[in-house]
Amino acid sequence: MSTDFDLDIEPEPCRYPDYEERATRSFDDLPATGEHAEGVERAVWDALYEIQDPEMPVSIVDLGLIYDVAVEDGEATVEMTLTYTGCPARKMLLADLEAAAADVEGVEEATVHLVFTPEWSIDMVTEQGRADLREFGLSI
Amino acid sequence: MSTTDQTTYNGPDGLAEEEREALEALLYRLADDELVVAERYIEWAVVAPTIESDIALTNIAQDELGHARLWYDLLADFGEDERTLVFERDPASFRHSTLVELPFEDGDWADAIVRSYLYDIAEQLRLEALAETSYLPLRDRVGKVLKEERYHREHAQNWLERLVTSDEGTENVQVAVDRLFPYALTLFEATEEADERFVEFGLQTRSLGEMREDWLDVVIPFLESLGVDVPEFDDAADLLPEKLGRDGEHTDTWPALHADMTHSYNELGRPEPEKIMDRDE
Repeated sequence: MSTDFDLDIEPEPCRYPDYEERATRSFDDLPATGEHAEGVERAVWDALYEIQDPEMPVSIVDLGLIYDVAVEDGEATVEMTLTYTGCPARKMLLADLEAAAADVEGVEEATVHLVFTPEWSIDMVTEQGRADLREFGLSI
Repeated sequence: MSTTDQTTYNGPDGLAEEEREALEALLYRLADDELVVAERYIEWAVVAPTIESDIALTNIAQDELGHARLWYDLLADFGEDERTLVFERDPASFRHSTLVELPFEDGDWADAIVRSYLYDIAEQLRLEALAETSYLPLRDRVGKVLKEERYHREHAQNWLERLVTSDEGTENVQVAVDRLFPYALTLFEATEEADERFVEFGLQTRSLGEMREDWLDVVIPFLESLGVDVPEFDDAADLLPEKLGRDGEHTDTWPALHADMTHSYNELGRPEPEKIMDRDE
């Protein structure tokens, strides 16, 4: 459900994600872009914006892959999906995201969770994402 | 079956010992099937009959590997990581159906197509029975996988329809069905850990026996509509092969496949093969 990428490679005891909260939550208003985010959460969204899809020059945020960002007491949690389950860049993306979020000032630790409900679809691409994909030569 | 009055589980912590045991058994069956079927499919890379069929089957293999990872993720929540679950497990602990481990005869494309047809219909039924599973981390993943599976069935069905347009093709499909049908039945075999408890705990909303009946109701009419005979039986259980896979008893082709599957991992001897270099400080 999450990688254990840690910048300082410090061993840590097995830490279960908070299933209680995660398993029952739903995501409204997708795509999420952090429009109203402030402070450290805003900075995490900005950092995630910088990450591109490995195959196309479009931000993963504009692609609609990020469902939520939350920062609490220096712990950033990112909820993310994949366009398809066999994505060969899964591990790379998760590691990039965790590193980007962890680099943000005010974040001490970052965890990325994979979620698959609701399923990603082309409808989740933002207007900016559509423009970038068209520029790249895709009809969308 | 309605699950409205069924207790749901948010994660590993809420499970009683028996529930956890059943869930793990269910996940091993799912994950191991997907991993091993993909391992066989990719043998067709570069040697399938056309470039397109080559790409299609290996792409299906990629999907199945992606699905396997989703199920191994959930097993990893119980302690062992993906790498251990895939590469460091005792081959005798694998619980995949023997259908997916059988080798292909040289150039037997009809086998690959029949196998994927029999398997993908079963997979669809299985995922549908998991759509309302009481284990919510699993439920989160089922819809996405079901959606991706549709193409797999289309691929297999289109190919079957094309193969039976010639006598030789029909004969090849018939031979493959005769050979694989009994093995496909092992997909639905219960074991000590995997049985009525799947339904009792709400992990699955159809029993293995019901799913087998559903599967027979789909595959038999379809194959017959193509002019292909299905082995006759009074009780489908009479057709079962000697080795079921589900109970850890595998055919004698499994050790070699497992050795192939883990060869590079063992050869490289790297604890973290996906990490190319350390991050800059």
